[in-house]
Amino acid sequence: MRDTLSIEVKVNGIDRSIEVPVHHTLLDVLREEVGLTGTKECCVVGECGACTVIVDGRPINSCLMLAVEVDGAEVTTVEGLAAEDGRLNPLQEAFLDKGAPQCGFCIPGQLMSAQALLDKKPNPTVDDVHEGLAGNLCRCAGYQQITAAVLAAAEVERQ
Amino acid sequence: MSGDGVGASARRVGGYGRVTGHQEYLADITLTDMLHVKLVTLDCARARIISIDKTAAEQVSGVRLIMTAEDLPHPMPRFGPQFQDRPVLATGETKYHGEPIAAVAAETKDAAEAAAKLVRVDHEVLVDGVFSVSRALDPTAPLVQDPDLRPDDPLANTNILREHHFGWGDVDSQEADLVVENTYEFPMVTHFAIEPHGFMAAPDGDGIAIWSTIQHPYLLQKTIAKLLDLPLAKVRVFAPDPGGAFGGKQNPKLEPLVAYMSLRTGRPVRLILTLDETFQAVRRASTEIRVRTGLNSDGTLVFEDFESNFLIGAYVDIADRVVTKGNYLAAGPYRVPAVRIIARGILSHTTPSTAFRGFGIPQVTWARESNLDEGARALGIDRLEIRLRNLAEQGEEFVPGDTPADGDWQQAVRRAAELLGWDEPLPAGRGRGIALGLKSGPTTGLSYSTVRLLGDGSVLIYSGTSDMGQGARTVFAQIASQELGVPLDRISVIMGDSTVVPYDQQTSASRSSVLMGTAVLRACQDIQAKVRTMAARLDGVDESEVSVEKGMVYLPGREATVTETLVTGLGPLGGELVGNGEMRKDKDLEHPLGGSALFFEFNATAVELEVDPGTGEITITKHMTVSDVGLAMNPLQVTGQDEGAAIMGLGHTLMEHYIFDEEGRIRNLGAIDYRIPTSLDLPLELRSDSIENADGPGPYGVKGISEGALLAVSPAVGSAVTEATGLIIRDLPLTPQRVWEAMMERV
Amino acid sequence: MKTFEYTRPRTVAEAVRLLNEHGPDAQLLAGGTDLVIELRNGWKEPEVVIDLKRIDELRPSITEDGGFIKISASTVMTDIAEDQRIQKYFPALVESAVVVGSVQIRARATLAGNICNGSPAADTAPPMLVYDAVVAIAGPNGMRRMQVDDFIVGPGKVALERGELVTAIELPIPQRPMGAAYTRLTRRRGTDLASITLCCGVDADGITRLAYGSVGPRAVLLVEMSGVLADPNASHETKADILNEMFLGASPSLRSMRASPDYRRAMLRVLGARALQTAIERLPRETAA
Repeated sequence: MRDTLSIEVKVNGIDRSIEVPVHHTLLDVLREEVGLTGTKECCVVGECGACTVIVDGRPINSCLMLAVEVDGAEVTTVEGLAAEDGRLNPLQEAFLDKGAPQCGFCIPGQLMSAQALLDKKPNPTVDDVHEGLAGNLCRCAGYQQITAAVLAAAEVERQ
Repeated sequence: MSGDGVGASARRVGGYGRVTGHQEYLADITLTDMLHVKLVTLDCARARIISIDKTAAEQVSGVRLIMTAEDLPHPMPRFGPQFQDRPVLATGETKYHGEPIAAVAAETKDAAEAAAKLVRVDHEVLVDGVFSVSRALDPTAPLVQDPDLRPDDPLANTNILREHHFGWGDVDSQEADLVVENTYEFPMVTHFAIEPHGFMAAPDGDGIAIWSTIQHPYLLQKTIAKLLDLPLAKVRVFAPDPGGAFGGKQNPKLEPLVAYMSLRTGRPVRLILTLDETFQAVRRASTEIRVRTGLNSDGTLVFEDFESNFLIGAYVDIADRVVTKGNYLAAGPYRVPAVRIIARGILSHTTPSTAFRGFGIPQVTWARESNLDEGARALGIDRLEIRLRNLAEQGEEFVPGDTPADGDWQQAVRRAAELLGWDEPLPAGRGRGIALGLKSGPTTGLSYSTVRLLGDGSVLIYSGTSDMGQGARTVFAQIASQELGVPLDRISVIMGDSTVVPYDQQTSASRSSVLMGTAVLRACQDIQAKVRTMAARLDGVDESEVSVEKGMVYLPGREATVTETLVTGLGPLGGELVGNGEMRKDKDLEHPLGGSALFFEFNATAVELEVDPGTGEITITKHMTVSDVGLAMNPLQVTGQDEGAAIMGLGHTLMEHYIFDEEGRIRNLGAIDYRIPTSLDLPLELRSDSIENADGPGPYGVKGISEGALLAVSPAVGSAVTEATGLIIRDLPLTPQRVWEAMMERV
Repeated sequence: MKTFEYTRPRTVAEAVRLLNEHGPDAQLLAGGTDLVIELRNGWKEPEVVIDLKRIDELRPSITEDGGFIKISASTVMTDIAEDQRIQKYFPALVESAVVVGSVQIRARATLAGNICNGSPAADTAPPMLVYDAVVAIAGPNGMRRMQVDDFIVGPGKVALERGELVTAIELPIPQRPMGAAYTRLTRRRGTDLASITLCCGVDADGITRLAYGSVGPRAVLLVEMSGVLADPNASHETKADILNEMFLGASPSLRSMRASPDYRRAMLRVLGARALQTAIERLPRETAA
């Protein structure tokens, strides 16, 4: 029996070959092996969305995915949203302009769900945003400011 | 308003890290050679610990320490912010579901978890636990606390921790046209910060370093220093910005445990709780509050009479203070000739309750405001009208001997009513409610700040406040920006390191804008005075001819910026100017709370809703929340706090509650069966508004905010449900099932 | 989480061989949205985890074939909800798929997994019963097919034998016009496990198929042939009586913390009547008579 497996995965545009324990989740591996701690751990049952990352274009809860499952896949985490020189993308800018982050702990997950939504639906309605981000709990309950930010980012992208 | 100064909706200071994933929360910090800790707990509430067998657990590869009560000093060290009653680990008996009995430190998380499961705790479940007020008060009930912990306390042989009496006037001699008497219940709810609590400790030379998600790092420093008999200077506390706290992270919990484990192993140790474990660590006190309201037929309040029982849990934490501060203002913002309040903190075999946004006020507000509405209905008086009739006017001493009403509260109430459309015809099937909440700000306080104006005119602000989302960094930076004329992107706010940042009493009671804000302002003024001296020296004029204001230096015949003056004044060696500020509100031993309110948080909440007659589901169609903030230093942040508080209030009003089994286990641990509002649970329309008359005690007239918009949500919703359905429900949360059951009872 | 052997067979045959070899010590992994929780909590401690997502035959696909829409075992809820044929023929399945967890869950959770997990609260079970779905099963003795009604057994139990796995769900394209609706009872509007799941379908011949879940050990299908329920002109009272009769077999859990038995029973009647009404309204008018 092999406790670890070598996987090839593209994380934020960089190809990586990682030896991962087969029973560790993508969340564990991102935080502990890859050193990307922007992805957060909270409920570990797929309810809070703090660990949301984008895998092959879709937002997923990285706490419910074994790291071995991303072998051959492309993963984007919150660290992958800004440009390499640190310039923020329109969604991140809008989050700051609208006051979306309060404590900030849920924000990486909110951003990833929002980015996935905008990638798929560039002109979302308020209801689309509420639905698209319903899997991301915010206990500061900045939902209205988060929604406003997503809509504002969509507006910027349209121009 | 744009810009960087006070009143601008500036971007959050610390926001960049929060949107890039670079903000470092506690669990993101890794220490070299660190051990991972996992708690050992029992799946029951009250149990007698017979023996602990570590043998199997010790065989797990990588295990370095299994700490039990035996391994700690004797007698068991205890601590707490009010009573020193919380043991580092349970000893002899567990007193609530999930109380830690032992802890494993291992080289990997996997090993710690595996070993924790293998620690065999031979125990006897004691089924006769105390999980309710009625059981706690039953003379045959077991005592939750060992009476020896409370020597010389006449109540030590009961489950009542303290019974407090407040009030004024003589309730019994008052003649009222109508007396309404009811009992209102409020459930146990939990903070559910998205960041679970975390703790680290490491040996640090001849002292110790502690990392914690704590709101009160300086209280933690004192606690650890006392337990370990170390000078404060040898206890270094790091307090990274908490990822949400809401009061749950105020007081030390498991830091002493990790401190002892670190000293025992000689290595850094880290314990990150699971979300389920945080449910077992912190909660709000559940309450049963009986209230008698005496009214004249014109709606004038004659008396209020409260008997308030707070079920506080197994250890006191800060709960006795919650009981006193929550109940002292039970009569609310009204002028009431006679008030009697009997308030008890009652021990139970449940998770220790602690501070939680609103600090006891949401519970009493649910009772008071709901009962007032019953009176209004019985008298046929409009619910808005009855409030306006009794509401204290600005400057009125509505609580004898305390701070007079410090705002135009009438304005806030009218604004909330107007936003809701209180006077407009009610759409069919809908109901409306309006309720008022009032909370004392801090009654004492002590904050220091140091501000350094560096040689290039950029600024460092040192503040011991915890920025847990309320945006303290931003408002402190805005104050400095305003006073020193420095843009926000040239200001850094340093927090969370007790060896670097001067003392702050605590981050609680919505105090920081007023208390620390004043300290920061004074530190900036200290710098302004130095700039003034510098400018006078440079121009060879008398200091009295120079003034410094909003980043500008005014001299005879010319003006210059602070930065220009600084750069010239410092000369070729460079250097910096250092300013210090202090803000203090001393204890008043005569006052029942140890001090009068520094300010009040006043809020008016008005809602409109409909109830599904088939299922009992409530849809909030409109939710308007208006707070008296004095001045919004950053309106964007004020909106975020108020909307967030309003939605959190909807959580405990509509869906949140612990569910227990007969033996005191919390059945709905974690995110699957403890429901909090999501983006799909928002009111169809939610708006917040601020009353700004610059009449607060803080810089520029600011008052504290952040809790107000939560206080009165429940009674506003409850009242609207009554109007929509005719049902009166006196128990929260108003789940669809509970509303449906009330509909069935009526049938 | 305890470690295990992770395997990712390339063929169904290989997966079947592994399953047969390890029997109850093997766990199948598709979306993982339930399994990973069970592994973390130690509720399941398999020796072998067999990841089905690298099997060519099971790759995500929705195909139309011989009067059936065939949904392969690794097809996730997001794809099902967005498929135009499923939207056209099986709108109530779409209504159930879009409320399975959150967007993140739906990007991982599979229809086959939702059924195989055997949860009484599985959102897609009632529509699959109403639409008469067929489960395609591969095993040591080859392929077999089974009505979903026979496949679901009880909490956590389905009719899979040692060495068997579900390769696809096959939905027969309705031959007659049909109106259908899915509804559920939850504790909040946001993502939640349902206290009642309910699907109702009425067809042009007046046959009503009603399935409900979360009110007993498994989802239950009831068929009403008299035509009264489907009759837009029949009185609410008459329909209520028939529905009450149909729901007599409901056996809600006495210990559930999500809803009391009384509330669940009452809500079955409320949601049943509402879903029936919606289904009737959705039945294409011109062919309804």
